[in-house]
Amino acid sequence: MVGLINAVPPENLEDFKNVFVFIELRNGELSRPGLEMIGAGLNIARKANEKLVGIIIGDNLEKLADEAGSYGCDIVLGAEGKDLKEFRTMPYSHIIGEFINEFKPNILLIPATRNGRDLASRVAVKSKAGVTADCTELDIDLNGRILLAKRPTYGESTLAEILCRRHRPQMATARPGIFKIPEKEEGRTFQKDIRKMQIPEEMMGKEIIEFIPKKSLDLTAAKIVVSGGLGLSKPQGFAVLESLANEIGGVVGASRPTVDLGWIERDHQVGQTGQSVRPDLYIAAGISGKIQHIMGMKLSKNIISINTDPNAEINQYSDYIINDDLYKAVPALTEEIRRRKEAKK
Amino acid sequence: MVLEIVVMIKQVPDSQEVVIDPVTFTLNRSAARNVINPADENAIEAALRIKDKVGAHITVITMGPPFAESALIDCMSRGVDDAVLVSDRAFAGADTYPTGLTLAACIKKLGKYDIIFAGEESTDSSTGHVGPGVAEFLGTDQASYTSESWYDNGFVYAKRELEDGTEVVKMKPPTLITVLTNANDPRRATLRMKIDATKKGIKTMTLADLGMPPEWVGLKGSPTVVKSMKAIDEKKREGKKFKLEEIPKLVDELIEKKIISI
Ligand SMILES: Cc1cc2nc3c(=O)[nH]c(=O)nc-3n(C[C@H](O)[C@H](O)[C@H](O)COP(=O)(O)OP(=O)(O)OC[C@H]3O[C@@H](n4cnc5c(N)ncnc54)[C@H](O)[C@@H]3O)c2cc1C
Ligand SMILES: Cc1cc2nc3c(=O)[nH]c(=O)nc-3n(C[C@H](O)[C@H](O)[C@H](O)COP(=O)(O)OP(=O)(O)OC[C@H]3O[C@@H](n4cnc5c(N)ncnc54)[C@H](O)[C@@H]3O)c2cc1C
Repeated sequence: MVGLINAVPPENLEDFKNVFVFIELRNGELSRPGLEMIGAGLNIARKANEKLVGIIIGDNLEKLADEAGSYGCDIVLGAEGKDLKEFRTMPYSHIIGEFINEFKPNILLIPATRNGRDLASRVAVKSKAGVTADCTELDIDLNGRILLAKRPTYGESTLAEILCRRHRPQMATARPGIFKIPEKEEGRTFQKDIRKMQIPEEMMGKEIIEFIPKKSLDLTAAKIVVSGGLGLSKPQGFAVLESLANEIGGVVGASRPTVDLGWIERDHQVGQTGQSVRPDLYIAAGISGKIQHIMGMKLSKNIISINTDPNAEINQYSDYIINDDLYKAVPALTEEIRRRKEAKK
Repeated sequence: MVLEIVVMIKQVPDSQEVVIDPVTFTLNRSAARNVINPADENAIEAALRIKDKVGAHITVITMGPPFAESALIDCMSRGVDDAVLVSDRAFAGADTYPTGLTLAACIKKLGKYDIIFAGEESTDSSTGHVGPGVAEFLGTDQASYTSESWYDNGFVYAKRELEDGTEVVKMKPPTLITVLTNANDPRRATLRMKIDATKKGIKTMTLADLGMPPEWVGLKGSPTVVKSMKAIDEKKREGKKFKLEEIPKLVDELIEKKIISI
């Protein structure tokens, strides 16, 4: 704990070097969002001619460290211990805080997952550093080695560029699904520094008494999302969308009122209070296009709207519009795709 | 001894009333009414449920301009016991570091605290960093992104909703909990309670009350600076129209542009 103290900047910024990334583990593996941090960090490190240092915390890290090295870390820094197997705020933030004290990173990136965000602002306060939240663009200004961090705010309408000129490390959390995972290169040379850690009992903090895994639908990983709204007019309507989704290789999404009515599970909801998706193709059937829904899908690469109302707001956001009854258009689309597949066989 | 609970709330522009400027694509915030940040309503409800069950004294605090008073009165009308408005010109322009510092200093000033509640994130700048920041300043443990929390026999329990499952945790007080939007169904104020709350009134704290130098807080105390704000370039969408019988043509185009593959 830092106590009630202000963010005093360090005296000599030159002491702070290299790009550090926290590679979050999930189920004892390097997680996708963690690997994406390697991608985000590599761009910056190469440009600035600095080292990329990957931090991993957990148990049995040797093999994971090798894997992190093959993805592009120049140094893999590990904290290993039986008690560190699961993410817990107190020990994890303590360890990263200690690494910062010892290695003085210029930049530290953490995935903006729930545990990543839980961790990041505590580490920032410990280190008297600033942290830019949930970034979608990261770059470096070589003049002063300043991290240029951009993040969408005000419900995805505005891109804010945020800097920390005088504080170190310059921290950011980066949104999952944005940065590319680098190519793996077996046999790359890198350094490994794995430390066995014994964390005192009183520093462990909360006890995890149960973990209930969920097979929840991750809409964000899908390349195609077929979503339905109140225009379906009945719960069975989702079956029609499901057929299209199966045929076209997508997953089913939903507007909030259909979820509230119990027509479909909440993990299908797209929007401000649901999931944010940016698939290659988003099909909105019987969805009017209210702002809270738009917020969750407007970054989709292509959007098809199927709506009986020629003036539905969703049309302004659409690349393709079918102004007709979804109960005619969706089956016709499904049928057409099925026919093409048959023809190809 | 009675359980002491603090709830932190922020006022935000009402997102239902926020209008998107069709030219710049920015939100016209000035047109919107201020409301309690939605997740904070759920945080208040989470605190009230603990009070209902085991008894507690709840204080709600906010750092904000004087007009935030109405939001605090609203909270008191739902069953919160006391409210503190932390307000001072010096606090303006704070990033999450000094926001956390100021709120932590206020909580320390209040005396004993067992559980601190916050929302998962605000709907305007939505960093989600203020809650954990306060916990670090105070040296307490934390459970973020919770759907449920309860107090039993000297321990605080919470369910954290993570990407791949639900984690149930047990903590010793004092601790900090951040609550998910829609975690519960917040109760409404009654007229009777509103009258009582207005009569009771709120307390205020200024920078002087917190005993910190002005350069520690607000814009001056912030490590981050917003360098620029730009409307996100919306991809201009063509809105090409297809009739039912033209669906084969649409599919041709989707395949040709490699949007779908057969
Ligand atoms: C704080 C807050 C958060 C919210 N979060 C979300 C969120 O995360 N996600 C979300 O989706 N909403 C959210 N909402 C709700 C949002 O404001 C809208 O109410 C909702 O998106 C509307 O859903 P809809 O488009 O399905 O329904 P409607 O607005 O009722 O639209 C139905 C559409 O179907 C069309 N239609 C009717 N019949 C047919 C037919 N046979 N064939 C084709 N089209 C037809 C109609 O023309 C109409 O355009 C939120 C609201 C609030 C206040
Ligand atoms: C466009 C823009 C982008 C910004 N980006 C960043 C950034 O990346 N990093 C950064 O450090 N700052 C940033 N800020 C500054 C940030 O908005 C302020 O620090 C703000 O006071 C708190 O941040 P938040 O709204 O994100 O709170 P969150 O951390 O999202 O709020 C979580 C919870 O903390 C509590 N809380 C938050 N504020 C208060 C308050 N004033 N009083 C009582 N309780 C409160 C509430 O319970 C709330 O639900 C940004 C500001 C703008 C305008």
